[in-house]
Amino acid sequence: MSQQLGIIVMVDVEAALKANTLKGNTYLFDNMKLQGSEGLGTDKLISAIHGSSYIDGSQANEQVLNWLPYGVGSLPPTLPKSFLADKSKNSDLKALEDIKALADKITSTDTDEFTNVDDVIEELKRISKSTGIKTQVQDKYSDTTRDLGTSGQKIMDVTGELISASKDKIPEINSLNPLITDISGEAVDKKIIYPAAYGSPDMVTDGWYWAASVDTSTPGTYAYTMDIQLYKLIWSDGVWTWIPVHMKCEAYIKISNDQKKNGFTNAGVGYLPIPIA
Amino acid sequence: MATKTSATPKSEPQVIPTPTKTITIASVVDVVGILATDSLAGQVYFMDTNKAEGSTGQGTENLRTVVSAGYRLVWTVIFLECEAYAAIDEIIIDPEYCEPEKKVYEGTDVSYWMGTVKKDITSPVPYTVKFKVGTRDESIPTASPLYLIGKGS
Amino acid sequence: MESKITIFSVVDVIESLSGGTLLNGNLCMMDNSPFESLNQGTPNLVTLCYPGQLIHWTILALDLQTPVAIRKITFLNQDGSSCEPIPADPTQLESDKLHLNVWSGIVPYYLVPGVEYRYRFELQMYEGKNCLMYVDTPALKRV
Repeated sequence: MSQQLGIIVMVDVEAALKANTLKGNTYLFDNMKLQGSEGLGTDKLISAIHGSSYIDGSQANEQVLNWLPYGVGSLPPTLPKSFLADKSKNSDLKALEDIKALADKITSTDTDEFTNVDDVIEELKRISKSTGIKTQVQDKYSDTTRDLGTSGQKIMDVTGELISASKDKIPEINSLNPLITDISGEAVDKKIIYPAAYGSPDMVTDGWYWAASVDTSTPGTYAYTMDIQLYKLIWSDGVWTWIPVHMKCEAYIKISNDQKKNGFTNAGVGYLPIPIA
Repeated sequence: MATKTSATPKSEPQVIPTPTKTITIASVVDVVGILATDSLAGQVYFMDTNKAEGSTGQGTENLRTVVSAGYRLVWTVIFLECEAYAAIDEIIIDPEYCEPEKKVYEGTDVSYWMGTVKKDITSPVPYTVKFKVGTRDESIPTASPLYLIGKGS
Repeated sequence: MESKITIFSVVDVIESLSGGTLLNGNLCMMDNSPFESLNQGTPNLVTLCYPGQLIHWTILALDLQTPVAIRKITFLNQDGSSCEPIPADPTQLESDKLHLNVWSGIVPYYLVPGVEYRYRFELQMYEGKNCLMYVDTPALKRV
């Protein structure tokens, strides 16, 4: 039976991009506080992992770590994964409807509301603003912009409202959630944890998450490093583009290992302590 | 945003009208811990996006967020155990300074709370956040106050 | 014949803590007894067994990342009483060593066939005033 342990990586994306470091701009949490984890809410988390073994030394239970990165100023992870894409699409459709409605108004004769060209232009401006602005995502290995899933999505603020802006004015945006791209370091080199990225049908985790099984047979404290990809919004070649920025964040696991014992006898297995009827 | 915010404003019309700045106040809650203890003490952590202006207590129960009149504040919730559920039920604060309201992300049942700071703050304004956790009906308040504080105070 | 029976239980930790009860479907107990055990999937499970068989209890949280452990299993007298008290102050209970317990034992030879031997099944979820919950309805019965 495996025990699922969660590690949450909260990144103040805006502050991290500004300072060009995750240090002081990351808040780490896990659900192992009762086991003795230290540093919850700071950038120096030591996650306590309690291993156990049978009397013959074999590992008695499997511990699985799950890492979940979020942005402090990002849309909450409980929103459906498609929220941003749907909203972008819907706003385009809405704009088409608005333009059609405007055309109908102009051609209809029972109103003089839009007889003035300036009024029509004003109305077109209003419609175009409500469609927000689209972004591209730049491939991290080249200068070309490619469709990385977020391409063509619009910029939203943290309340989910689409935002429009000119190239001179960057609005208050909802930063894209950070991504973990690798987990490495001492704990991996010493074969204490075996991390990998997994696909998940769970919308909460955005379809991908990093998890690792833990070898609890060698107690001790081990460091590991998360490679974290943030996105910076840049005006480039006439479009807003999300540029991936890579940073590293270190954390620790502290493994203990105790021997299993029988709950009834506190030693080996015996007869069940059943009162005589 | 780090880049270009200092660019000279041109005559381009500003589209988002009122708020001068948006600050997200994110909370991380341990739903099981709250349900087991009937308390938020030691089971909730707050952090905001305004460290640059001097917010303190990041990652603790006692966040002090630096604000000015006109700032828009957005409160969000994240759960420590991803199968769990928690939401803000109420934010209790002097309405003279801010009247946060519950909002829902369009087309979803995910909520957040939002309020605009009505006037500049001279001495710290305490507030309490009440959370609904799990499937329990009654909500549970933060054990010690959070604060909004004025710039330079 | 199979000489080992596993009694495996699944608990919805958040639902149990929210409602303050293991009933209402929050706790499911099942076994793999070769005999026809009664009330499978409920806290009233009656596991049919015979002397000399090894019985092994396990628990799993339905909401996988939440903590739950068997705190204690206490067999009751026929009148439902027990000399083992329930902890008076749950806030004193620690949780960090509970995972080391293996709950298994051999069915004694003195069990009377057809008699239900009920036990109190104590679970601990996290720590704090609400952390301890139990049922005293499951039982073993010698075939």
